[in-house]
Amino acid sequence: MSATLLEAFLAKIYVNEDARASFLADPRGEAIRAGLSQHQADELVQIDRVGLDLMAESLRRKRERRGGSQTGRHR
Amino acid sequence: MSDGRDQIGLGWRRELAVGILANLDRIDVVEVIADDYFDATRRERRALRTLAAQIPVVLHGVTLGLASAVPVERRRLERTARLCDEVQPDYWSEHLAFVRGGGIEIGHLAAPPRNNATVEGAAANLERATRIVGSAPLVENVATLIDPPASDRDEATWINDILGASRCRLLLDLHNLYANATNFGFDASHFLARIPAERVAAIHLAGGKWIGDIHNAAGRRLLDDHLHDVPDPVYELLTEVGARVPGPLTVILERDGHYPPIDRLLEELDVARAALARGRRQRDAVSEAAA
Repeated sequence: MSATLLEAFLAKIYVNEDARASFLADPRGEAIRAGLSQHQADELVQIDRVGLDLMAESLRRKRERRGGSQTGRHR
Repeated sequence: MSDGRDQIGLGWRRELAVGILANLDRIDVVEVIADDYFDATRRERRALRTLAAQIPVVLHGVTLGLASAVPVERRRLERTARLCDEVQPDYWSEHLAFVRGGGIEIGHLAAPPRNNATVEGAAANLERATRIVGSAPLVENVATLIDPPASDRDEATWINDILGASRCRLLLDLHNLYANATNFGFDASHFLARIPAERVAAIHLAGGKWIGDIHNAAGRRLLDDHLHDVPDPVYELLTEVGARVPGPLTVILERDGHYPPIDRLLEELDVARAALARGRRQRDAVSEAAA
């Protein structure tokens, strides 16, 4: 269950700009509020911020190319 | 699946169809994106069967999300099963990725946390996929721009753990490997030495570009975008793979846009063929020396 919650949390901060901003402002607090364990929250505090920003931007550009759709070609 | 011979081919894309069909003598195999045909018309499916009658076809999925703690939905696997029944591909493949979570579609192949939960989830999903589809998928390593959060092992260990917990063979994407090695500072050759060579059955080749603060090593990442030519280091990795892997390989060049003339892609296939042949000669020389 905890692993499932973690994937859901990652999916949210990857695609949702507001959720990502809230997370980056308070990583541990947002993780705990999402139901993640203390251990998972500790790990998320150390997230690769450069990678997160670049991935989020890459996903945003993909969605733009698809006209806002989040489905379709995943690569 | 390939009569014991290496096969070199291209990803089937609508924009490349005419060029591929006009050059079947230079292309051994085509890889079709399975998801493109899940909602295909009867006519489109007939065209796919016609294609499969002319050239070996392999099917490649992009939306199952097998490397997840969440079980893959049965209906998604049943669509894959129906398509495999219809096309009778040499094999089908999917990514070691998660693509959705909590009802949110990521729209991309995301690298999951590399830990026990995703190894166990992937193993369960691969067993379920094998049972429902009727054959085990080849599983592909993915490129990632972010170092997967909450991981407790490196990529080679994680892939080995999944291979150890399943019957699946590996579709090794060499540009994904090259990008991850470049972005996260590990040695791609060392990675190749750590994965079981006898489980590698297929290869993907592609290209990419730098994104981010491209003049600052800490602020940039190599993006696997399938929009550029295959870089030389990836061909060098193909030679290494050819020297290590004992069995036949199916090598697919992936291109998803900015399509060059078909002759340019055929030249890339020739370069790949030559790179693989160099590796095979190295492998054979070692075998002969040992005999």
